[in-house]
Amino acid sequence: MSRKKALPGRTRSVEPPHHAPGEHRCLDILRQLSAYIDDELPEDICAELRRHLGACPNCEVFIGSLRDTVTLCRHHQPPPLSAYERAQLREQILRTWKPKARS
Amino acid sequence: MGQSAPRPPQSTDAFDKLYRDHVDRVYRYAHRLCGEAEWAKDLVQETFLNAYRGLKQFRGEARVSTWLYTIASRACLRMRRKRKGAPERELSLEGFVPTSEGEFRLQIPIEGLTPEQALENKQLREALQQAINKLPKKYRMALVLRDMEGLSAGETGTVMGLSERAVKSRLHRARLFVRRELSAHGLAEDLRRPQEQRRPKEGGS
Repeated sequence: MSRKKALPGRTRSVEPPHHAPGEHRCLDILRQLSAYIDDELPEDICAELRRHLGACPNCEVFIGSLRDTVTLCRHHQPPPLSAYERAQLREQILRTWKPKARS
Repeated sequence: MGQSAPRPPQSTDAFDKLYRDHVDRVYRYAHRLCGEAEWAKDLVQETFLNAYRGLKQFRGEARVSTWLYTIASRACLRMRRKRKGAPERELSLEGFVPTSEGEFRLQIPIEGLTPEQALENKQLREALQQAINKLPKKYRMALVLRDMEGLSAGETGTVMGLSERAVKSRLHRARLFVRRELSAHGLAEDLRRPQEQRRPKEGGS
């Protein structure tokens, strides 16, 4: 399957090359961007989206920042538990659990 | 793949195995959901207590990790209710349509950086966590499970008790929300500085 990436410079388009922000077309595009990023759209819709993105700098920048957002989320790691914290938590859980288990 | 169902507990051995194999994953999930360490530890405790109590009922139809994600998610919802978390609200798609050229073109200033390099920046890490914390919980959970924990839409649906379609809809709105928060955060200067420090101009000395 082809990479679903915006193609800057390709302006062969059946639709107006730019759309005003807030226009109905924006909402159509916006609705599908996650599915596009996740490679979940049928090829014909992808092709239509690619055409639009190639022709519309605003949407292209927008999808770029949405992609960056997803990439950052995927790589964000919280600080891990230390060995001490892991052991301490285990003790706390067992202390809480045991009295209840007897009753 | 290949995680077998745990047996009903006879001693702390069963607990220890469950705990040892999964505590890091549960803590990571809890931290991502709660956004801070102490609260995350409370959630880990609650999750393992509930898991241990429910171990006999666990029939091994789901993976152990999916089962634990489900327990942790439910415990998180209960805890948030007690702690009066951010008010629940719906995120409408229309609310994310940029209304000006400038809003359309807001960017996250990480060009030229790998995600790891970008996330070395404390301000960006904090902005990301803050954006996630500001999400209403049903959207946050979808984002954390799908984009951070790496579950499929189907697995996320199992954990949250939702259809795949509903998961995708929530995930999309959550991403749009975080994108807007991050790109409007004015991070540009601070992100560029560390990059230049990391890569001094070559050819000088």
